[in-house]
Parts: sequence; structure tokens; C-alpha cells
Amino acid sequence: MSASGTFGYGLEFSPFYDISRLGAVVVKGLSLLPTAGNAPQRIVETPAGMLNAIGLQNIGVERFVADVAPRLADAGAVFVANIYGRTIEEYEGVARRLSELPALAAIELNASCPNVKEGGIAFGSTSEGLSGLTRRVRSATKKPLWVKLSPNVTDVGKMARVAEESGADAVTLINTLVGLAVDHRTRRPKLSNVTGGLSGPAIKPVALRMVWEACKAVRIPVVGIGGIQSAEDALEFLLVGAAAVQVGTANFRNPNACVEIIEGIREFFAREKIARLDDYRGGILLRG
Amino acid sequence: MPSKATRFVHGRIVRNTGHGIFYRMEVSIPDRIEFVPGQFAMVSGWPGNDPLLPRPLAIFRAGGTRSRATVEFVYKVVGRGTALLSGLHDGDPLSITLPLGNGFDLGAPDRTWWLAGGGVGFSTVFPAGVALSQGKAEFEMFLGSRTRDQLPPREWIPGGDLPGRVHLCTDDGTAGFFGTVTDAIRERLAALSPPGRARVSILSCGPREMLSGIAAAAAAHGVPTQVSLENHMACGFGVCWGCVAAVRDGDRTAYRRVCREGPVFDAGEIVW
Repeated sequence: MSASGTFGYGLEFSPFYDISRLGAVVVKGLSLLPTAGNAPQRIVETPAGMLNAIGLQNIGVERFVADVAPRLADAGAVFVANIYGRTIEEYEGVARRLSELPALAAIELNASCPNVKEGGIAFGSTSEGLSGLTRRVRSATKKPLWVKLSPNVTDVGKMARVAEESGADAVTLINTLVGLAVDHRTRRPKLSNVTGGLSGPAIKPVALRMVWEACKAVRIPVVGIGGIQSAEDALEFLLVGAAAVQVGTANFRNPNACVEIIEGIREFFAREKIARLDDYRGGILLRG
Repeated sequence: MPSKATRFVHGRIVRNTGHGIFYRMEVSIPDRIEFVPGQFAMVSGWPGNDPLLPRPLAIFRAGGTRSRATVEFVYKVVGRGTALLSGLHDGDPLSITLPLGNGFDLGAPDRTWWLAGGGVGFSTVFPAGVALSQGKAEFEMFLGSRTRDQLPPREWIPGGDLPGRVHLCTDDGTAGFFGTVTDAIRERLAALSPPGRARVSILSCGPREMLSGIAAAAAAHGVPTQVSLENHMACGFGVCWGCVAAVRDGDRTAYRRVCREGPVFDAGEIVW
């Protein structure tokens, strides 16, 4: 599936392929009201990665419900809404509104965006914050609830367990790592927000380790994200226990990345005579 | 979203040669494309993940037959991505997403078009000159650089193969007008009669200071002006929201994507 924030509202990819081929389209984070986002400059390229500080610019939940969701349903896409709020009440409001959409497959709680001062990471960086937010949104919706975790914590396994105990149906990780880029000549940060979220292949080893730790910590499905560019990358996440993967920054480089990865996994399983995902998933071989 | 005609293709370099500070790259692609002057492509062609992102390049020309299609880009080396592109050879593979963005609006009839290109901005306004020429529209081109050596090669400049008038501008006065494109346009606008000014429309691409200067001069005389903006881009087709420009939205400032709502904007919209 696509990773939120890297796939727009999904329909942008229709010129490239049939988006119903994806396991799910996870749309850009939605807030109650339209959000303007951060001032430019919003992105910086880094070695094998990029920093972004978009600031969750989005069209707001009402326009999504009215304009986008019906078109995603018409396109045959399974779609998941990533949601964001400045307060717990805002998260609840967005979740309630989206729950009215029969076609919506799940809600992904963004408890980990590093680019906004309120909400996001403010809830996702402590056990208490994450638990309180997850419980309240859990009560506000009957839709499957996924919690997207931050890597900017000491013990991601513990945070995954907190999400599980608070009612999450799945955890997705990792969101971006907080980073900084400075121009040595102007002496200024390159991003207007000063810091941003690092994504791309540069973060894959960190993501893989954290997904592995989360898989050991919880019984609910873990969705792996972080630097996946190829079928081989995706297979590595499945090997450490992920039930599914999301592909993010790779979509910027290659609009066909998601479908090429799906095909690559299929070909690998056929070549290796692996009949079911569960015959491979979690099969990492450790010494000892 | 990108238009239905937008596609991601694998191409091969036919030629990639340097001309002064510019490079001109012709690429064979699977199918012929149609594009609006001012539209662009996202191009990558180096091995590995560093740099990670494709580079936005204006579409300079597109042509060929259905079975043997080509697209051309003119670019300047400004960083690692374009440096790597400049080192590629005939036959090397490229990945390209194109055509992208909204190009120039050439729809207004009976205009005198002024095409202003600063530096490599030349490659963005050049196709507008070709299209205007084919439509027998009246146009003049203003091309600027720091010195004579940094102007596009003479054979690329409309006037050789296009019937428009060309005004070269150099900061150091080594060729043509002694000053910037902005200075030249400001002077020309001031010298025109009000009825003459009323027929002028400006299309421009170049450094931000140049575009804001032209926008201010044009606004002072009520001359409609389109500007093609550049920005750091990750995707080029509207999903990352990284390339936004600040625009006026009533009495507020809003952010619009340079890759999707642009790169061409009405100069009056932009918060300079």
C-alpha cells in the first residue's frame, strides 16, 4: 500500500496505473479544517533520502468526504484515511466524520508527524499521550484503527504495545526521523520549519530494526514503512514480521514503484515456490 | 492530478552535448508526446540512491514519429543531479515522467508577446516562441545572462529559425543591451505609447529577482504577465506538496504547488 503523505489523495496516480491494484491507498493526513501547511522551503534532498516539512497541508475532512472519497470508491480503490488533529477532540471529530463513509477501509491515526507544533508527535512521544489519544479515537469509530508510530522515541516496542493495549487494530511504523539541514554559507537552516522528517532509503535500516522490535512486542499486525524502494526491500520487512508494507518516498522517484514492488514480490514467491505470505513472513533466521 | 497524457517512461539518450554553460540532451522515448510550452519533465538517469530524486527540466522540444519519438532538454549544471546528467552518454538509459504542470497560456489573440528568459530560463520560453511563430503571432524575445559567454548558442536563438525579434541583454554589456532583462523590459515598457503597451503580454522564466522585477514593472503599466517558477521538487506531479509557492488568496496567503498549479502562474498572484 502507499504511505500517507507520499501519495496525495491517490487519484494523482491514475494516469500511471489502476490504483485498485494496490492493497490500499493511504491518503494524505486529514484534519478537521483545511490546513495551509508550512512556508517554503519545505523539502531538502539528503544523501539517499530527503527531509520534508510540509506541515500537513490538506483539504480538510469535509472536502475529502464530498469530493475525493466517492472518486476513490469509483476507481475501485481500497482506501485508508490518515488523520491528524491539534487536539484530541479534533482527532475524534475527523474519525467520526470519516466513519460515515461505508467504503473507508480503516483509519490511520497520525500520532507521529514531526512537522507540526501541536498534535502529531506531541501525542505520540509519550506512553500517556499515545494511550489517551488511541483510547479516545477508538471510542469515536468502529472502523479498524491503525496507529502510526514515531521512530523518535526510546522504545518503539513499548509504544507499539501501548497502542495495542489502547485498542489499536494495527500499528504502522515508522514515520519520519527528525533531521536538520543547514546551509554552511548562509548559516541558515534550509527548511523554513528548521527541522524536518527524514525519509527514503537512508532510513531503511532504522525502520527495519524498529519494525522487528514492534513485531516482537505485539500480537496485532504491524505495517512496515521506511525506505522501501524495491520488492527486495519490502521482502526484508516481511521477513522481520511485518504483515504488510507501505511505500512512501519511492513514489516520488518512480510513480510506478508500488505496482512494481507488488509484481516483484509475486515473482519472488513464484520463483521460490512460496505458496502463502505466512510461509515467509517473520522467517528471519537469527544466529544462536 | 497530472493530465491523462502524463506518463512515466524509460528512454535512451540520443545525444547529450555541452554548448558553453548549457547542455542539450535529446532522448528517444517510446511514444510521441504533445506538450504545452512551459511544461516540464522529471528526469533521472544515474545509478544508485544519491541523489535520490529526479530533476525537473523544461521540455525544450518534442518530435519524431510515432515509432521513433524524441524529447529534448536544455539544462545547466547547478548541482549534483545535473552534473551527473551532464556526464551521461549516448545510449544511456533515463527515467522520465512527462509532460508535467501547466504551461503558458497563449490563448489571447492579437497580442504582442514578449518572451523573457534569464539564464537557463531561456529553455522554458523558447518553446513558446516556436508555438507563437507557428501561429504567426507577433513576438519579441529578451534573453539575459551575466556575460556574452553565458548566452545560449546563436543557432538556438529564435530569429535564426524563427521570425521574432531578439534582444540580448548582458549584465556586463559584452553583448546587446547593457543590463538585465528586467532593465530592458522596464525601459521598453516606459518608452511605449499607452496603446502599444495595451497590446503587450509577457511570458517569463528566470531567477526570482528577475521575475519579481518584471512583475512589478508590468503591473505598473497594467501589462498581463505570466511567470514560470522554479522550486525544489520531489515528485513533480502534485503528491508531495514540497514545491509550493506563496500566492494571494483574497486577503490571505495560500500555498500552491509549483509542479501542479504551476509552474506558470499569473505574476499578480505571487507573493514576491
